[in-house]
Amino acid sequence: MLALQILIDGFAISSLYALGATGFTLIFGVSGVLNLSHGAIMVVAAVIAWWVAGTFGAGPYLGALAGVAASLACAFFTYRVIVRPIQNSPSIPREEKEIFVLTGTLLWGIMLQEAIAYLFTNNPKTVRPLVEGVVMIAGVRTPWNEVLTAVLSWAAIGLLYLLVNRTRTGKSLLAASMNPRGLTLLGFELSNIYVLVWAIYGVLAGIAGVLLGAFLGVSSDNAGVLTASAFSIVVLGGLGSVPGSLFAAYVVGYLETMTAYLISPSIRTVPVLLLLVAVVYVRPQGLLGRR
Amino acid sequence: MTALLEVSGLTKRFGGLVAVKDIGFSINAGEILGLIGPNGSGKSTVMKCIMGIEKPNAGSVKLDGTDVAGWPTHRIARHGVGIVFQHARPLHRQTILEHIQLALLPDNLFMLVTDHKITRRAEEIAERVGLGQVMHRLPRTLPFADLRRLELAKAIARNPKVVLVDEPFAGLTAGEVADFSALIGSFRAEGHAVLLVDHNVKGVAALVDRVLAMYLGEKITEATAEEVMRNETVRRVYLGGKIETAARPDREGKGHTPLLDVRGLGVLYGKATALDDVSIHVGEGEFVSVVGLNGAGKTTLFNAISGLVPFSGTVAWRGETLAGKTPGAIARGGIVQCPESRELFGDMSIRENLDLGGQHLTVAEAGKQLDWLFGLFPILKSRQGQAARTLSGGEQQMLAIARALMMKPKLLILDEPTLGLAPVILEQLSKALEVLRQTTDITVLLGEQNVTFALPHADRVYVIEHSRIVWEGDPGRFAEEAGAGYL
Amino acid sequence: MLRSRTFQIVVPALLVMALLPLGVGGYILGLLTLAYYYAVFAMSWDLLFGFAGEVNFGPSFLIGVGAYTAALLNHYWMWPIPACLVAGAIAAVIGGAVLAVPALRLTGPYFGLVTLVAVLLLQNMLVLFAGITGGEIGLDLPDVLSIDDSTNYYYALAFMTVSGGILFGLSRSPVGLILQASGQDAIEAAALGFNVAKHKMAAFCISAFFSGLAGAMLIFYLGTASVGTVVDIAVGVNVIIAAVLGGRRTIIGAAVGAIFLIGAGEILRPLGQLSTFVVSAVALVVILFFPSGFMGRLLQSGGRE
Repeated sequence: MLALQILIDGFAISSLYALGATGFTLIFGVSGVLNLSHGAIMVVAAVIAWWVAGTFGAGPYLGALAGVAASLACAFFTYRVIVRPIQNSPSIPREEKEIFVLTGTLLWGIMLQEAIAYLFTNNPKTVRPLVEGVVMIAGVRTPWNEVLTAVLSWAAIGLLYLLVNRTRTGKSLLAASMNPRGLTLLGFELSNIYVLVWAIYGVLAGIAGVLLGAFLGVSSDNAGVLTASAFSIVVLGGLGSVPGSLFAAYVVGYLETMTAYLISPSIRTVPVLLLLVAVVYVRPQGLLGRR
Repeated sequence: MTALLEVSGLTKRFGGLVAVKDIGFSINAGEILGLIGPNGSGKSTVMKCIMGIEKPNAGSVKLDGTDVAGWPTHRIARHGVGIVFQHARPLHRQTILEHIQLALLPDNLFMLVTDHKITRRAEEIAERVGLGQVMHRLPRTLPFADLRRLELAKAIARNPKVVLVDEPFAGLTAGEVADFSALIGSFRAEGHAVLLVDHNVKGVAALVDRVLAMYLGEKITEATAEEVMRNETVRRVYLGGKIETAARPDREGKGHTPLLDVRGLGVLYGKATALDDVSIHVGEGEFVSVVGLNGAGKTTLFNAISGLVPFSGTVAWRGETLAGKTPGAIARGGIVQCPESRELFGDMSIRENLDLGGQHLTVAEAGKQLDWLFGLFPILKSRQGQAARTLSGGEQQMLAIARALMMKPKLLILDEPTLGLAPVILEQLSKALEVLRQTTDITVLLGEQNVTFALPHADRVYVIEHSRIVWEGDPGRFAEEAGAGYL
Repeated sequence: MLRSRTFQIVVPALLVMALLPLGVGGYILGLLTLAYYYAVFAMSWDLLFGFAGEVNFGPSFLIGVGAYTAALLNHYWMWPIPACLVAGAIAAVIGGAVLAVPALRLTGPYFGLVTLVAVLLLQNMLVLFAGITGGEIGLDLPDVLSIDDSTNYYYALAFMTVSGGILFGLSRSPVGLILQASGQDAIEAAALGFNVAKHKMAAFCISAFFSGLAGAMLIFYLGTASVGTVVDIAVGVNVIIAAVLGGRRTIIGAAVGAIFLIGAGEILRPLGQLSTFVVSAVALVVILFFPSGFMGRLLQSGGRE
């Protein structure tokens, strides 16, 4: 019974992690940026969804839409106001651009987190689930919401896959992650590609945020932890490898769930951290990454 | 007398690739040896093995009798080797004098105050290399030539037995080369053993006592500079063989409409001069070859035209200047470059790479273009599902050219397409280019070190040497006028 | 030296700081005391980043190791403060050496990750063994440096001045020059005859020493050691922001940045929750428009330095 519970809960949380990590990895692979405001953007989506649906009174569907729109806006801001100016700045030497982008996105993330806390307090908010009720899966009472989380996460990932592998535009994104110079030589404007990637990222992070809000609830305090966990998953799976992130998300999700159920919820993150240390020492390119 | 530097049986492998195979030579005090070879010949690897940056798999490197092969770099340096890197970067906040002092410091964790003796010695060295007037200035206020002098100063600071210099004249203008040459010559007079590593025999001919020519990791010959330049094998390796020209189809009005007009082009990489007052023009339907050795500036020229590097001077395309346009816009405007590095999408298949090239065409047009290209390069059709990364060198080159052609370019720029390819593949490529010329109106600008490949198709030839155009003319006249001095 | 810009800025500032207790209340003194310890954290970080070129994303690992070693020794074995300080510093140095080992093998973002993970692990371990360490609530310390605000202030000021002097002096010494060269291009530095690994290891140990010592002194000032004050990621984030704001590779800049951050956070306290928001926003603006930071800007216009 417990095993089934772990299996189901683990699957749901891993799917959510997978969605968030996929967005994070996409931005790293194509734009070269480790976006430390990732968690904050997810929280913004969740809180806006909660507010529009509840306090504002527009219902769960409009709320979810508003949440995604908010994260899209944040993503654009992150790219245009923070990342792009730093990457193009002539007064920052090339080797240091990375740490400036990291610090910049970190500060922006803190700003978002504090703004949310100020406007909405840091009490946890739960977004009204899109579907209420429970269902029995092999004898385990599972909220429909949890099932929906897994289903929607995978739907989003699946759509992304189709976009990248079956459409012309998507292929150019993939190409940009492999060889931006090659794309320029073929007449593509990289700036357009980057805008597109950040837009997709904004949507993915928004969906992940809203789903998380409905499933477990969020508070502005979670922003840092969410970023850290996306970061860990992406490193574990291999920086820049989407299949790697998916795989690692499940490893992390299940490891955490098992630890929480079998040992104690308060140290859920420890085995993951130990795994991370081991991976970074033994195989720094990640489980599925290429050197 | 023991040679100061004696290398024997030096071998270095990277995975399956043998970069250096059984190389041996010796340099006595007061001698300068030139180690020459094209890209990929292994000369840089030899230099790195001597300096301990790479550990050789076999062989010995004897410094005044002691074998230092496999030692860590800092130990080799302390034992008496100084090196001048091609791309050295100075520290921003330290003066010239402080840089030289750094080179004189002992490898000590606890040195908290600078010794007066060190400061005085640093001043002497600064004077010695011609930096006496500027020793208290910061690097960013000085011209490139002085920064190179600084590197030389650091290398000889502790009076090493052996001095290694990588591409001694790269980035210097023709005028600066003479001064530098004299400076390096003076090291010889002081009794150091000097190893110069370069692409170009001609550039160092006046300076060196002997030349060792390398190709694909092996020694071709070791002799005086003149003998090496006349050596059959060396000429074949560099020039590709006997220089022949084939009949070119005459076309009405070819070359009359100017397409590309480059005037007074200058490019600086940081402060290094990469191109100096270069002017070329290409007319519609023409096939123009720019020949020159590695490092002469062909790639820089093409990158400037494609908008990838900033430049001074003008580049006009169909009468309008290209200044201010993004590289993407220039490519869409009809100038498509197939670079030396090919820039393929390694994890994508041949078909996907080609499709990306056809992105700006309608689906129907792209389909037609694809069929035509598969006809031109049948091997691409048979392997279209294969990932680009797994293709052989020749296949990758064909894919790169085909992908560029998918864009229906008005001007196709090809940069060193023959680099690293076997003769059999060169044949195929040559035939494909011939078909292109016969059946389409395409205009081509080809950059090559391999003269045998570049000449037969060309309507006109430019010779580029050390950042400047030194000859322009008919391919037929090339052999008599420029061919002899090319190397 | 008397003409150097740094000297012209630092000496008057120190004089003012030394005279402050004569006219300023205990609350502000307390704030500045905290700021001075943060200044040492930031200066140690700058030595490692600005000079050895190593980006440490988890400076609070070294700070925490130093602080908790001292705290545990004092709480359970009643060691006197000086002994605890020494032990804390030594423990931090060992921690620094441990962190240095992968640094010398890993490149780019991977090393940064190791440092980040180190902090997270330490934090989790401390919370896990809350019975011994006091977890999130913290460990009460029987001894404190002093009860008097002014005395604490002077301890902190003196400590910051001495540490700053040493770190700055190191950065300007031949050893600092070698470190800078090693950080910029390890191969070139090796070709000049320097054992880069040895020097970088030394940089780690020095950075660790001062971070750990400052962490240990901080907890004896506060009277408790808790995860939130010395180990939390937020501590590390503040340190990095302070150093980058103040100006990389200036050492003094890091101190300026730290004092600014703590000071600004306090001045904006009336804004309530928005204070962190405003400080972060200001820091972001500085990073975008003045990447060389406060001191970097000031010194640049001087030319020579």
